[in-house]
Amino acid sequence: MLEVFKATLPFLMHGLWITFQISVVTIISGSLLGFVVGLVRAERIPVLSLVFGGYIHVLRGTPFLVHLYFVYFMLPATGVSWLQLEAFPAAVIALSLYTSTYVAEVVRAAIEAVDPGQTEAARSVGMSAVQNLRHIVLPQAVKLMIPPMGGIYVIIIKGTSIVSVIGISELVRAGEHAAQRHPSELMLIYGMVALMYFVYCYPVLRLAKWAENKIGRIQTEH
Amino acid sequence: MKRFKRLLALSTGILSLALMGLPQAGADVVEDIVKRGELRVAVQTQGPPVSFIDKNGKRTGFAMEVIEMMAKDMGVKLKVLDYDWKGLIPAVRSGKADFLAADMTPNAKRTLVLSFTAPYLYSDVVLYAKKGMGFKSWQDVCKSGKTVAVVQGSSNVGLLKAKCSAAQIKEFAGGGPAVAQAVAADRADAGINDQASAAGYVIEYPDFQVLDGALKSWPLSFATRADETHLLRWLDNYFMLIRNDGRLDKLADYWMRGPEWKKDH
Amino acid sequence: MDWILDFYNWRVVAQFIPEFQRGLLSTVGISAVSLVLALVVGTLSAIMSLSARPWLRNISAAYIASIRSTPLLIQIYVIYFALPALPILGRRLDEWEGGILALGLNAGAFMSEIIRAGIESVERGQIEGAKSVGMNYLQRMRYIVLPQGIARVLPPLLGQTAVLIKDSSLVSFIGVYELFGAGLTLLNERLMPNEAFLTVAGCYLVIYYGMFLLSNRMQRKLGGTYA
Repeated sequence: MLEVFKATLPFLMHGLWITFQISVVTIISGSLLGFVVGLVRAERIPVLSLVFGGYIHVLRGTPFLVHLYFVYFMLPATGVSWLQLEAFPAAVIALSLYTSTYVAEVVRAAIEAVDPGQTEAARSVGMSAVQNLRHIVLPQAVKLMIPPMGGIYVIIIKGTSIVSVIGISELVRAGEHAAQRHPSELMLIYGMVALMYFVYCYPVLRLAKWAENKIGRIQTEH
Repeated sequence: MKRFKRLLALSTGILSLALMGLPQAGADVVEDIVKRGELRVAVQTQGPPVSFIDKNGKRTGFAMEVIEMMAKDMGVKLKVLDYDWKGLIPAVRSGKADFLAADMTPNAKRTLVLSFTAPYLYSDVVLYAKKGMGFKSWQDVCKSGKTVAVVQGSSNVGLLKAKCSAAQIKEFAGGGPAVAQAVAADRADAGINDQASAAGYVIEYPDFQVLDGALKSWPLSFATRADETHLLRWLDNYFMLIRNDGRLDKLADYWMRGPEWKKDH
Repeated sequence: MDWILDFYNWRVVAQFIPEFQRGLLSTVGISAVSLVLALVVGTLSAIMSLSARPWLRNISAAYIASIRSTPLLIQIYVIYFALPALPILGRRLDEWEGGILALGLNAGAFMSEIIRAGIESVERGQIEGAKSVGMNYLQRMRYIVLPQGIARVLPPLLGQTAVLIKDSSLVSFIGVYELFGAGLTLLNERLMPNEAFLTVAGCYLVIYYGMFLLSNRMQRKLGGTYA
């Protein structure tokens, strides 16, 4: 058992590294995209708000694997040159879209949690909607957005396991490869995989808890 | 509710338009391969002995060695695209890969969609089970009250339904090792897989045995997009050549007909 | 309707209706039971996490942290393969029970956090009012706090339910034939990924829509309000 542990550890570590890379890039791009979507929804901008609402529902209601399939296989089939995606970019794009639905909800809840009285006061002294957002609402809202991001980050980290379908050797896939070579040690290998996820995710959750205690929580609604 | 319905219709409409994208209309892909100097092959890392990652982290297996030979004899570089079973077909249909190098069985319905080479090998399908269960041949398991575990989505599912219908059939995601794990944990009475994989599991799990008799001998082939006739002929020709000079048999004996490969990989 | 056949051959899909029915029934059944389990476990855990007694809070916190930090697949494997025969049943859990238990415990951890936020959002005044008319803790929880608390967080609970329904596909790793498996049967026999994946996605979307409607109805009955 020990030899299998020692033999597979480097491959699992490499898989963890790949998972890490994907999750970091995704959290950044997913947050940016989600911020835009959430902002549009919170400000109830006419047509766009509805479109984004539909986008969130469709992405939430269908399996991520199908989104990945769409981005990696269907988009390139249209023949458009800039849609010819390699595995890693396709995985990041699909995962970012999925992430953005969560982030959008957090952003919207945070913005709506800021006391509307502040907005009223700002508008009454002559600030435009944009100025209100920029100087009054967002600074307060952004603080509230931080604690839930920990939970979202963990969801992303574990969601990366699906990108193995398009051949990315992330952590779970690395575990599957190792299990193919050492089938009788399947439980050990998957146990190691679980441990590595724990080592990555638990600190993130603790950090989020700490941030929540410092900043306070919002209610994610809608 | 109306809003949601309208939204749904809109999104589906956009989605459908996007989906109308046709796969790459083909000039001859063999010309493309020569032009770019690179052969792109989709493989499914489903496990030893066909295609897997060995204990040193190197990608190897019967299919791997065959395509490495192919690329060398073509005079081009080899780019291996690794996919899960679900991603294999779209990979070759969308043009991401030139062809697919796996142990797929070219049945009648499948050949409606892709073109398959003539079989490079025939592989026996066997059942394996724990010793001491009182099973001798595979028919002993195909009785009511017994369970047979099979890889999810495998051709063997249909085979079991045809030849072993009295037993309960359980499909397991996670490939061959998941099926072996199920048998080892007494969650199934027997597992079904090709002979080479079964021989491997018997070594890994000393209390396993391969049951007598083969349910079927599946032909195994590589596959190309339906209209790539030149590439298909090239592949068939290549198999003929390496069968003729003995290289195919050498590879098959090492990888598919016994557990020799376990020592080095 | 024939032009649709170009990218979605619904005639072929129609031949697989029995498989999709079987898979759909499986997925809906497992998701429904797991959902109930998750809500029960989640509510219990949420109440424990708000308890005055540290040991209750710690159990809840440990449960939530371990579930959230590890992949669901591993949890399913542990429950199905590593658990021995249970004394009450006299046997090991079968793949359905194991799958439901794993999914329920997993979703329960996430729902615990959501429900806790809901409970905390019920105004002090309500609790004090309830105390002053002589309600004990159990009565307060049952009639005042939980109905309002849960009603307020129905939207995030719906989101978590959507995740649960999609996560249920992982029970295919322990031998259950569910919706995704039906799609893979189609893929395996006919090599048609568009048909396989789109049908599966469509079915999941229909289930999600059903949950969405249910959640809206519950919202109206329980009288939750949005900020």
